[in-house]
Amino acid sequence: MLKSKRAEYFAAAVLMAPFVVIYGVLFVYPTIKMVELSFTNAPLIGPGKWVGLDNYWRLATERLFPTAVWNTIYFVLLSALPSTLLALVVALGVNRLKGWAQSVALAAFFLPYILPVSVVYRIWDWMFDANFGIAQYAIAPLDGGQHLSVFRTIPLFMPMVAVVTIWWLLGFNVLLFVSGLRNISTEIYEAAELDGASRWAQFKRITWPLIWPVTVLVLTIQLILQFKIFDQVYLFTQGGYRVDSTMVMVQYIYREAFQLNKGGLAASASVVLFVLIAVMSVLQFQLLRARAQR
Amino acid sequence: MSAIPGNKGGAAAPHVELRRVTKRYGVVTAINDLTLTVEKGSFTALLGPSGCGKSTLLRMIAGLERISAGQCFLDGVDVTDVAPAKRRIAMVFQSYALYPHMTTRQNIAFSLSLAGASRKEQDERTHEVARILQLEDYLDRRPAELSGGQRQRVAIGRALVRHPEVFLFDEPLSNLDAKLRVQMRLELAKLHATLHATMIYVTHDQTEAMTLADKIVVLDRGRVAQVGSPLELYNRPANKFVAAFIGSPSMNFLPVGLTAVEGGIATVALPGGRTARVRVGGAPAKAVATAELGVRPEHLSLVVADDANAALRGEVAIVEHLGNLTLLYVDTPAGQVIVEGPGNVSVRSGDTVGLSLREANARLFGADGASL
Repeated sequence: MLKSKRAEYFAAAVLMAPFVVIYGVLFVYPTIKMVELSFTNAPLIGPGKWVGLDNYWRLATERLFPTAVWNTIYFVLLSALPSTLLALVVALGVNRLKGWAQSVALAAFFLPYILPVSVVYRIWDWMFDANFGIAQYAIAPLDGGQHLSVFRTIPLFMPMVAVVTIWWLLGFNVLLFVSGLRNISTEIYEAAELDGASRWAQFKRITWPLIWPVTVLVLTIQLILQFKIFDQVYLFTQGGYRVDSTMVMVQYIYREAFQLNKGGLAASASVVLFVLIAVMSVLQFQLLRARAQR
Repeated sequence: MSAIPGNKGGAAAPHVELRRVTKRYGVVTAINDLTLTVEKGSFTALLGPSGCGKSTLLRMIAGLERISAGQCFLDGVDVTDVAPAKRRIAMVFQSYALYPHMTTRQNIAFSLSLAGASRKEQDERTHEVARILQLEDYLDRRPAELSGGQRQRVAIGRALVRHPEVFLFDEPLSNLDAKLRVQMRLELAKLHATLHATMIYVTHDQTEAMTLADKIVVLDRGRVAQVGSPLELYNRPANKFVAAFIGSPSMNFLPVGLTAVEGGIATVALPGGRTARVRVGGAPAKAVATAELGVRPEHLSLVVADDANAALRGEVAIVEHLGNLTLLYVDTPAGQVIVEGPGNVSVRSGDTVGLSLREANARLFGADGASL
């Protein structure tokens, strides 16, 4: 039976309406409001006076925000690319296993992913405890026999949080890569083997180009996710007295808004983060995709 | 049965030889103690129903599948443990297995580029192959932008460019539509005539095997059921399996009683009371009391019901007019048999007919299925 175009448009509109409404109310409207707020000196609750670009000027000139931006970018560099590459390596290994061994390996790598961040924090904090942590057996010989409080040592802090984060979230990336690898038929590898491709050539000329779209996807997801780093840094600096030097952007926003009652300033920091993530991820995604189409 | 051709003096040298090979997957034996020789320049088809082990056999020759026991020789050299790339063998896969991210040109030149051939050589050889396979206009397209037939040709091109000594085909035409399949079949035959290369071709389609191959190896559950030329298999099947598998529509099998064997002629009692005299090879054991008479549909002909020559009588169940011929399904005391008649038969379903039998072409099979 042929339906009229009009009825079809109506059906489409009805089906889309819930999403459009929720998206508008919960994302578009608050985003506009946030941008608006960033030009005021509003407290956390209630309106404020228009102050123009004052907040942005403050962000640029004060000491803490640039530190937070740098720490965030540093953390993204330490976590996004390494976790993507590591996940690919693990997935290549897992993919070579067969049957139940593969399921077990996949489950083992995925298990940390289902843990809440607080549990992840407890596990690592406990392992690296300066007094009784089991990891100190490995650390002490490197530190001249002395126990070392890894999470209290500033140069080691971000790399360690990155390691913990990679361990925590690796499983999901592995899963994406494994499903991507499964899409490459074994016959293609057999054909390549007959064509005389060594294992390395098979990876370089078959696997890598064919898994590239997944790599781009994983890297983009990682980039967006890691720019929003907060929980791990917040938990590992608990009780510390040099929180400022390890401050990340979301932590800065949290502090300004909820601890110092500066809604306007926090909003402007949020806008900066939003633009940063949007530009970086779009740029990265487009760049990498373009490479694949060459 | 002459399933295993010996390498007699004067015969062409075997190019590919499998000596007593076995392939086991856990407890399942896919190939069981199989010996096979393929002569240089021949076109050999491995034919059998799905699960008979024919693809496994091909993959063992290619080196993609480890041989559990036995040996594989190429040109007299034991290659059982040699890597696939070093066997000078090319294979065309059922799924074509083209590299999806590469153009036709890159697909064809891949092996050359791996071997470190110069750009110039790669270009020359790719163009040569593209010309033979009429792929020149599609060199810069990726597999996704090619039709099934074109992909098939790229897959063949990828094999061709390596100048291999042996071509292996794993059901290469099964993903093509009927018309294209006939066309590609012809092109493969031409290719073989041009290259004179050894080709081993796996198929479950007896028409492909019959038309392309000069030697057919029929496989049944991991064993060789018979080896022979297409007509040998058709006219003198070694056993009931081969008789039933080769020929379409399939051979009819009638349960008969063996009454006498004399001078190479057996007299059998047909269901319904008539007798027939059938030639048998050697001297079948007298003890064989029951046997099956194999008669191809074209060796039965319609006669009037009370004809003195009618070996069987029955009622026509279904009539299929195919234009050039007619297939009749006739219910007889021996069960339903298929009869091939001329195109202009006027018999209708429900008619009672007599069937005469061309005794010279009938075959007798013992209880174990072996030809008597």
